[in-house]
Amino acid sequence: MSASLAPECNEVKERYDTCFLKWYSEKYLRGTAKTDECEPLFREYKACIGKALKERGIDTMLEEARADNAENDKEYLKPSKGS
Amino acid sequence: MKIFASSHEFDYSWEEVSTCNWRKYCPWNDKSTHVIAVDTLSRTLSPSTGILRTERLITCKQSTPQWLRTFLGGQDTSLVYEVSYVDAAAKKVTMCSQNMTWSDLLSVQETVVYRPVRGVPGKTVFEQNAKIIALCGGWQKIKNGIEEFTVERFRQNAAKGREGFERVLAISREVFAEERKKKGLQAM
Repeated sequence: MSASLAPECNEVKERYDTCFLKWYSEKYLRGTAKTDECEPLFREYKACIGKALKERGIDTMLEEARADNAENDKEYLKPSKGS
Repeated sequence: MKIFASSHEFDYSWEEVSTCNWRKYCPWNDKSTHVIAVDTLSRTLSPSTGILRTERLITCKQSTPQWLRTFLGGQDTSLVYEVSYVDAAAKKVTMCSQNMTWSDLLSVQETVVYRPVRGVPGKTVFEQNAKIIALCGGWQKIKNGIEEFTVERFRQNAAKGREGFERVLAISREVFAEERKKKGLQAM
């Protein structure tokens, strides 16, 4: 798995990534996932990375990037046309 | 403005490709060494459409030549914001990326799509499109220079990325087969 930009988050990130990959391949792709089971681990990782982003001033840069991406959300979150 | 487009067919199923895509920049990829970190910022599964939306922040090592750095400023890492949409029912992954570093001077927007090759089981097509625009006012010559340099670097990284991803896919398949064998032995 790849590293986190904040070394202090590596350990929790590794646990989360492992959980996610298993869920993705074994449940999500098979269409049996109702919820994201790795959510509790993700919350732990998010708390860690959130702090790091704030300290580095990246959080404000992200706001701008998110705003730029709004159009993509509109297009790609639409339900597929039964292809 | 410069446009970069490329496509490639992987000899792996869409399921394998879309799974390995999450670990494209793991240590098995010994080509894309400019990517030093990949962090997930948010992830939501839509109960109505089944679309999985993921936001990631990709940290890259900067390797810009000095002449360009004097224009853009000298950071040693650059950041890319990526939002991906996986539609498992339609078997489609769409990834949209943009540069966060130097975004007031240069806009790099990339869209990547992975989907199964129609009528050919076990094959996945990768399509990549990028739009590169230098935003700085003034000299057209400098703008052109920046765009040309960026598109060339983009092309190099895309080739390395593909090569590295092929390796991740191959190793993943091996590891998966080995694990299945182990499990089978345990079950006996």
